[in-house]
Amino acid sequence: MQRTQVLFLVKFFAILIAAYLLIAWNPVNDHVIVPFTEGVAQVSGALLNAIGQKVTTSGTVISSPKFGVNINNGCNGVEAMLILLASIVAFPASMKARAVGLVLGALAVQFLNAIRIVTLYLLGAYQPRLFDMFHTAVWQVLIILSAIAFFLLWSARVAPNRLATRA
Amino acid sequence: MPRIDWRLALKGFAGFLVGLAIWAFLSPVYDRLIAASAEKVMRAFEKPSVTELRPKEDNYVTVDRADFDRRSKQRPAIPIRDLTFNIALLTALFAASKRTFSDRNMGGFVLAIVCLALSHVFGTVAEVMSIYVAKLGMWSTVHYTDLERNVWGVLNHFYRVVLMYAIAFALWWIFRDPGTAAPAAAAKKKKRR
Repeated sequence: MQRTQVLFLVKFFAILIAAYLLIAWNPVNDHVIVPFTEGVAQVSGALLNAIGQKVTTSGTVISSPKFGVNINNGCNGVEAMLILLASIVAFPASMKARAVGLVLGALAVQFLNAIRIVTLYLLGAYQPRLFDMFHTAVWQVLIILSAIAFFLLWSARVAPNRLATRA
Repeated sequence: MPRIDWRLALKGFAGFLVGLAIWAFLSPVYDRLIAASAEKVMRAFEKPSVTELRPKEDNYVTVDRADFDRRSKQRPAIPIRDLTFNIALLTALFAASKRTFSDRNMGGFVLAIVCLALSHVFGTVAEVMSIYVAKLGMWSTVHYTDLERNVWGVLNHFYRVVLMYAIAFALWWIFRDPGTAAPAAAAKKKKRR
């Protein structure tokens, strides 16, 4: 592995730890992460109502007589956004390219996360046997994979030689 | 944005499904291996050596200690498979390669899997320690300080929320076949030709 690749990993983990400690800090969690998660629940609840599921949303809980989900940390897409943030900021690129990557990447991750919540609700309501598997493993990995895939696409665009030839 | 190489994306998805199947079917055996290794690690660092991690039928591992009152039946249990499913992420990343079955890629994958298993032992130890320091009522208060509670609590949460994915990504980054980088990179090269 080349020095630039090692440097990328060191920066990646340093940024990841710093960002995690920031969002795990109670004031940030209570005033940023929880309201953000409530927003995720509102959007997902609206999508479920749009497809004919009569759900109500209260805080981070989406429920109906059929099933209910409580969106916690780890299910709000923030974990994938942290991976995206750490990888994009650690990668050598201009500030503008990083900002564009972060905004587009966050939107992509949250779009997929809304689909995750909708499908998990539907699985819980209609195929409860599959819920645990999809909740624990399938969607978690797919969301992180999407963040990594976005980072690779972005890095190939901003600096193709750095990633493609030295990877 | 660069063009997506759908062939590599499909390979990655197939790798994800294979990884998921391996994780699902081998978990009962793998959980025992990780529990036994984590128990050995914990016993090596604790005085007296009393931690006992006993796999149950339902994919959980009972956390017990030889110095706990045997008359009390209630024991905490941890789902080790919740700490190990990043195997599917690793297989997906290695599969999304131009030469998936090249010696270099497969060799890297084996090395990455070994390192990942070590991280699973660490994740299990952090999980058990987070129980010891905070979830056993007065016993936790008496035996551990607030600093230890914070450190193990944060470590366990950090592992579960982001570190387990970051480790899989980093291992792929370190051990992947240099000639078969990323889907995007490969697509870019193809375009240039």
